[in-house]
Amino acid sequence: MADDLVLDGVTKRYGALTPLDRISVTIPGNTYVSLLGPSGSGKTVLLRVIAGFEAPDAGSVRLGGRRLDGMAAHLRGIGFVFQNYALFPHLSVRDNIGFGLASRAVEPVRDPAALRRRVDAMIALVGLEGLGERGVHQISGGQRQRVALARTLVTEPRLVLLDEPLGALDANLRTRMRGELRRIREQLGVTFLHVTGSDTEALAIGDQVIVLDRGTIAQHDLPDTVYNRPNSAQVARFLNCYNIFPGRRDGARFVSEIAAFPLAESVARGDGAGREPAYCIRQDLIEIRAADAPVASGEAALPAEFIASEYSGASIAYFFRTARGETVEVEAHLSHRRPVELEPQRRYTLAWDAGRAVVFA
Amino acid sequence: MRSTVIKPALAVYTGLFILFLYGPFFVLGILSFQAGPEGGPQFPIIRWSTYWYRQIFGLTPPSRIAPLPIGDALVRSLTLAFMTTVVSTVLGVLSAQAFRSRFRFSGAVFYLIVLGMMVPGVLVGLGMALVANWFGIDRHWWSTAFVLHVVYTFPFAFLVMLAIFNRFDASVEEAAWSLGVSPVRTFRRITFPLIFPGVLSAMLFAFTLSYDEFARTLFASGPDLTLPLAIYGTFAVEIHPDIFAFGVLTTLFSLALLAIYAILMGASVRRARRVAIQEEV
Amino acid sequence: MEHTITAGTAPSLTAETAPPARPRVSRRSLVPYVLIAPGVIWMLVFLVLPILMMVYVSFWTQTTFAIKPILTTRSWVNFFSSTTYVASLWTTLRIWLIVLAATLVVGYPTALFVGLFVRNKTLSTVLLVLCVIPFWTSFLIRVVAWRPMLGEQGAINIILRSLHLIQHPISALLYTELSVVIGMTQIYCVFMVGPIAFMLSRIDPNIIEAARDLGAGFWRIFARIILPLSMPGVVVGAIFVSVMVLGEFATSAALSGRKVNMLGNIILTQVGSLKWAFAAVVGVVLTIVMGIVVSLFLRIVDLRREL
Repeated sequence: MADDLVLDGVTKRYGALTPLDRISVTIPGNTYVSLLGPSGSGKTVLLRVIAGFEAPDAGSVRLGGRRLDGMAAHLRGIGFVFQNYALFPHLSVRDNIGFGLASRAVEPVRDPAALRRRVDAMIALVGLEGLGERGVHQISGGQRQRVALARTLVTEPRLVLLDEPLGALDANLRTRMRGELRRIREQLGVTFLHVTGSDTEALAIGDQVIVLDRGTIAQHDLPDTVYNRPNSAQVARFLNCYNIFPGRRDGARFVSEIAAFPLAESVARGDGAGREPAYCIRQDLIEIRAADAPVASGEAALPAEFIASEYSGASIAYFFRTARGETVEVEAHLSHRRPVELEPQRRYTLAWDAGRAVVFA
Repeated sequence: MRSTVIKPALAVYTGLFILFLYGPFFVLGILSFQAGPEGGPQFPIIRWSTYWYRQIFGLTPPSRIAPLPIGDALVRSLTLAFMTTVVSTVLGVLSAQAFRSRFRFSGAVFYLIVLGMMVPGVLVGLGMALVANWFGIDRHWWSTAFVLHVVYTFPFAFLVMLAIFNRFDASVEEAAWSLGVSPVRTFRRITFPLIFPGVLSAMLFAFTLSYDEFARTLFASGPDLTLPLAIYGTFAVEIHPDIFAFGVLTTLFSLALLAIYAILMGASVRRARRVAIQEEV
Repeated sequence: MEHTITAGTAPSLTAETAPPARPRVSRRSLVPYVLIAPGVIWMLVFLVLPILMMVYVSFWTQTTFAIKPILTTRSWVNFFSSTTYVASLWTTLRIWLIVLAATLVVGYPTALFVGLFVRNKTLSTVLLVLCVIPFWTSFLIRVVAWRPMLGEQGAINIILRSLHLIQHPISALLYTELSVVIGMTQIYCVFMVGPIAFMLSRIDPNIIEAARDLGAGFWRIFARIILPLSMPGVVVGAIFVSVMVLGEFATSAALSGRKVNMLGNIILTQVGSLKWAFAAVVGVVLTIVMGIVVSLFLRIVDLRREL
């Protein structure tokens, strides 16, 4: 497609560190793509290389077929929304938004009326009406975020990079802004590449999710594919909703230190096996039963001792300890089940449908 | 830390220190009201009088004491200081900007620049006089002395700008680039306005240093004198309380400038301060 | 929105087949050199060249009123074989050390107060401005103002006598080495206070809090925390003061009645009688002294890092 971003073998080294290691990916145009990874995974470096603030040591970056690496940052037509917004402190909101249009090297907008029109339209789009004349220190965090967005979008870039744009906002605002960002992106029809360390945010906001792990792409799929079928134990770990048991495959079972789990045929995934064999089961798929309760065939079971629970409104997280001292977490969504009263230090059996497990072996 | 004892003790000490700093200034002030023209620059005060103040402005009848040759020298000092300020600040900003990236020999260059403030005026003045003699160049305040003034003030401007840039958040520049604005334009419209307070203090520094600069100028300025040289010239003969009156006047003038600056700064800060806005979306 | 997703876990390209990154436009890497060139050229021509010239001329032959570029070590021999001139070298060094120590001792407590204890920004600005104002009275006038302070009829003697602390005026206050030291200390102590106060103000007060909570007394905190952290400021101040004192001639001329001859005074008198080669020798000696002093100080602190 005309505005696809294609990275081919992009590598970046800082001395002994390699934050980007031969990254190759195609990011399609007119899509919301979230880039998920813990700190140190290289996601900000990747963004900076695409934007042109850093040069890669190897590999190429192409946008719509045109090669970008080697080109100066201000000629790439790529917008960047910074984590700290980087608003121009000495300019008003209106001047911040209009700055790119008025001062850019390629086709600056010289007609003040046209400039005003476009800036006003953008102010309306992001919801900043009436704040145009304010200084950037006189608006709230959420409003500053919108200014940063407006400033970039008014220049009609072919691709917008967002570096943890919602990180500085409180939880309520963050959730609302997610919807706003998707709405705005759809209206404009450009690709947003949105970097975040939050798994829930990445899954909620992206049409596609790229998971970055220590400089390489661990997975690139639709959100529900990543959620339900992570392709390695490491990706499962990033999602914060899986219990992960290391071990190895033994015939029709997966043997870990604490228990053996039967393997249903539908389950095994070979992709992640080379790096880390593991047995993963999602926290909300586990049932809590009495210690002596029966376990059906086709189910896997694990004895464990209850420690504590954590109530968070719509769900409760129950924490268990296995015989080996590892922690297992069970999540119960209260719309599906009634909350169960559990006794601390009492043993229970945790059971689940063996076919729902994700196994790398 | 018994700050209940230490802090007041240090406060008293600082007060005494300031007294120590200003001691000669008080003496100067008192003696400037010495009777003239027969009164000398020492105690006791023969009679309180404003004679010497009047003498500076040429309002007294001629006596055997020549008035201070300050008119032209003052103009020259101000012009020289202004020229030095402009050139050394430009050099300081350019060099500090260069130091924002890595480049080869940056260590050597750093010390070369800083060397300028570490060589006493006497040495570089002597060297310049020798160079001028050898190349047959005439010495003037606006050529040979000027270049030495810049050699002295440029390192100060450079260090001030280095410190400013160290605290400067470059992400606003990257933001401007991402909007399509060229690096040169970004420097003019974004970087420079934000570093301007630093540039201003560098300029102030350079001006102060150059205006009172004496040793370098002594050797390198040729026949026309700057103000410090003119004052020095009178020492050779005899000093009189008019020099003290002059000192008091210049200090008062500087204080007035500072007061105006402080008032303007206060006014602009108050104008920029508006009511903080509540959290909205 | 239906997309076919190219899995990111496609077999990764080996390093050999990855296309090399196109290097940044080479113009970019030249920019710092272009920016630094004017400053470097200026310093080379107007600082390094004069110093080199001075070294060169120190080996020239001196006739009565002129110099010829015939190389000889005559002027050097003259300098080191004459007790007066060698004495002036020792005088210079002696005065430098005394003034350095004096400015440090006098200035440190003030820097401690302004940098560490005064947390109110307005107040510290006011105090620092107070310290700077004396500079707006010309340096020469301030030097000369010491005479009526130190003389037998001077202000200090008048005050001491009126307080009945002394019977007869102290004559050693003026036209001695002591007067030169007093004058220089007063004029240059601010250059100690500034850098030290700056470094002290950068100390995180939480560190001192933590030390206090751990039970450390004031002197311990001072010796182990405050003093070491202020060292870069001390060194910078020491460099400033040293540069000014070693190159001094005006204060010593004005306050010692020509009794105290520092190297700077020698240079001045020699130039006055057109003995350029000899003046150059003295200049080179002073340069060497300066070079040793400054490089010793810089060994203690890395200036670049501190900024």
